[in-house]
Amino acid sequence: MNCEKCHKNHATIHITAAEGGVKRELHLCEECARQTGALSNFNFSIGSLLGGLMEPVKVPKVSQVRCPECGITYSEFKTKARLGCANDYEVFRSELLRLLEKVHGSTQHAGKTPHTVDAQIRKENELNRLKRDLDSVVKSEDFEKAAEIRDRIKTLELELNR
Amino acid sequence: MKVEELLSQSGEWLKGTGPESDVVISSRVRLARNLHRFPFLTVATPQVRSEVERFVRPRLEEGKLPRKLVYWSLGDLTSVERTLLVERHLISREHEKAEGERGVAVGADEAISIMVNEEDHLRLQVIRSGLQLDEAYDEIDRMDTALEGSLNFAFSPQFGYLTACPTNVGTGLRISVMMHLPAAVLSKQMDKVLQSLQRLNYTVRGFYGEGTQPLGDFYQVSNQITLGKSERDIISELKRVIPEILKFERQWRHKMLEDEPRRLEDRVWRAYGILKHARRITSEEATDLLSALRLGATLNVITGVPHKLLNELFIFTQPAHLQKIERKILDPEERDSVRAEFIRRRLEGL
Repeated sequence: MNCEKCHKNHATIHITAAEGGVKRELHLCEECARQTGALSNFNFSIGSLLGGLMEPVKVPKVSQVRCPECGITYSEFKTKARLGCANDYEVFRSELLRLLEKVHGSTQHAGKTPHTVDAQIRKENELNRLKRDLDSVVKSEDFEKAAEIRDRIKTLELELNR
Repeated sequence: MKVEELLSQSGEWLKGTGPESDVVISSRVRLARNLHRFPFLTVATPQVRSEVERFVRPRLEEGKLPRKLVYWSLGDLTSVERTLLVERHLISREHEKAEGERGVAVGADEAISIMVNEEDHLRLQVIRSGLQLDEAYDEIDRMDTALEGSLNFAFSPQFGYLTACPTNVGTGLRISVMMHLPAAVLSKQMDKVLQSLQRLNYTVRGFYGEGTQPLGDFYQVSNQITLGKSERDIISELKRVIPEILKFERQWRHKMLEDEPRRLEDRVWRAYGILKHARRITSEEATDLLSALRLGATLNVITGVPHKLLNELFIFTQPAHLQKIERKILDPEERDSVRAEFIRRRLEGL
């Protein structure tokens, strides 16, 4: 595969970035990766770097990782003591887990759940149950019942994606 | 309703009739909530701020909620009117000072208020007089659940309600009990009280909340932990801690009365004398004297001074209240005269 930027060199650096929850892959040669500074702007894992590199590429420090939705870094959070959006709780998850443990002595919510979320969890549970049911119904060759379950699964999946 | 109409009434929580009202002024609960899919206010552009306000406002004003609310956009109010809302404990100081689209929805008896675009998109608060933690929580919970019908809050099964500051995440619940602790202060026991509360993960703040100095021996004790405990657990823990403070405060009050009755009587009656006759009085002096008078009234050193009147005087003698009553901007010296006159008139005929 050729580099997406210069289209000449062989792409040896493959970066997976999450933007607005959408996964995007970027394939660059080492030189272009350095020049564009892509390495410090993207949130990527070491596993996405394929072999063949002469020297190890530096993984950006957590404090430099930017939330793709609100654009703040963990070090900016530390200065302001305020997060930029709900997604930060996922982007800075491991750091926040440590912080929450220190502040609250816990990392797991134990209080109220909005009823909309309750309904969603119930639907997800039902969906999982139906999928298991479907397997056993198909095995026992009860096709009428299977069709019924498939319809219900479709409806639930539609509702959950909404 | 207009802001100045607040002058003809006082908050339900000031009536001084709730349980334990010899020491506890009020119980306040607040919930921090953010809207799903909107950035937090830390990074919100002016457009996002007004989008949030436009989205939330009609839902706060609609009649289906458990309480009818009146919405004020803070940009439409004068700085004196905004400060009046701070003095009433309806909005925070930060909310008063901030810029951009923001507002507050208030229930008629001032027991409930909802700030829009403060540190989080929504900050709901309920205040009740005396120690009424369950009652206050039940009311805020009903409002929160009703709002969930039309608003989608940012929530994660692991972290709970997601807030701009991780110190509020989880339940988003902060409970504050405002107490009058003059005997603890006079007996120089306050440091001990503060230390033991801090060890138990409670914060202690002044009369107007975060970052304010204790004023007139009033202290607000609040939970720090919001994650990993249910709302009811947070309440029950506080319900075990507060009675301990009440017990000590009452013991110290009675000890003062037994050990040095003359000294206490002198302090209370001097305070009464000054308040009843002074021609100029600063806010600090008034608060200190009212605090002494309140102590005297709870110990029957002086009779016929209702708690409601004293509680109201603490609020109505604040700068914005005086200026709104006089319908003009007053410099500090003019305020001192108006304050003295206002107190004299309210104490007349007691």
